[in-house]
Amino acid sequence: MHETSIAMGLLNSLEELARKEGAKRVLKVKVKIGKLSGIVIDSFVFAFNALKEQSPRLKDAELIVEEVPITYRCKECGHRFQTESVFFPECPKCGSANLELIRGEELEVVNAELEV
Amino acid sequence: MCDVCGCGQPENLFKVSDDTAKKNVEIKKSLLSKNEQVARHNKEHWDRDGVLVINLISSPGSGKTTLLERTIELLKKELKIGVLEGDIETERDAERVRRKGAAAVQLTTGGACHLEAPLVHKGYHALTKQMGGAPDILFIENVGNLVCPSSFYLGEDVRVVLISVPEGEDKPAKYPKAFKTSQAFVITKTDLLPYFDFNVEKVKNEALSLNPQLKIFTVSAKSGEGLEEWINFLKEKLKEKRKALQKV
Repeated sequence: MHETSIAMGLLNSLEELARKEGAKRVLKVKVKIGKLSGIVIDSFVFAFNALKEQSPRLKDAELIVEEVPITYRCKECGHRFQTESVFFPECPKCGSANLELIRGEELEVVNAELEV
Repeated sequence: MCDVCGCGQPENLFKVSDDTAKKNVEIKKSLLSKNEQVARHNKEHWDRDGVLVINLISSPGSGKTTLLERTIELLKKELKIGVLEGDIETERDAERVRRKGAAAVQLTTGGACHLEAPLVHKGYHALTKQMGGAPDILFIENVGNLVCPSSFYLGEDVRVVLISVPEGEDKPAKYPKAFKTSQAFVITKTDLLPYFDFNVEKVKNEALSLNPQLKIFTVSAKSGEGLEEWINFLKEKLKEKRKALQKV
């Protein structure tokens, strides 16, 4: 349910950006959401599309979501690998559990396309 | 120059208005950047005041408030305790902890399923006004919910996730984010272990496989079992924090 507050925060910051840039409309916005970010993408997109209607500057904005897979780097052998599991895995190459999470927690607004 | 027909006219004479009207802006900011900014501000307040801040996260009914009541009873002689009580509605939890001798401010979110840093900021100022100064330990009791609160950093030093024995052993696996982002995990209502199929070791191992750094406690607020370790952990964390602040 917190997807709604996050979508609202995104819309507010887009409104601010549009005002600052003197834009008529926001056409597109791209976000990166990691599989470990705790966000349900469907709920987030639903909330974004429901709430954007309230603003004439935002109502046509298309939300593009890039889902980022979970990627670890093994601190022992340097091997990088992706996994679907949220549990601490072992390195498939050397079996070590000494791993560093390098991708998967992203919650980032990448860019926006404005009509100026 | 125009290279469509080679007429030699300047290129921009033929530009279609739609193309020129678009502008790409790089943002590269966290979706939660506003919350994180306020959370960092909260942390600055708390570091300046030397307050240890504990953010308690669990489902509704797992015993956050009851554990807090016992914790206050055991700490209030030596330490000043402040509580920010997050709930969707009512002042009930703030009243409960006040009766035990802590200062408390109720934060009602009016429907929101988690606390965010700006509301906590407002609550902290109301609390210090009420107390005439800062507490030694500030407990933030988040809205009962094992999902959403884990996405919102409030500026806390220690995030504690709780599950109670009746909730069942599968909670860490089902709610990994709460366990991955916490530093401590409390299993509550252990006096009920004889009545439930709840394997403490299995739950501990599952939680540790999500987060090997988790410090785990098993407590019963009712019988008092395990409370001493929990209280010592809090005192130790306060000592650690104040020592670290002196060095800066």
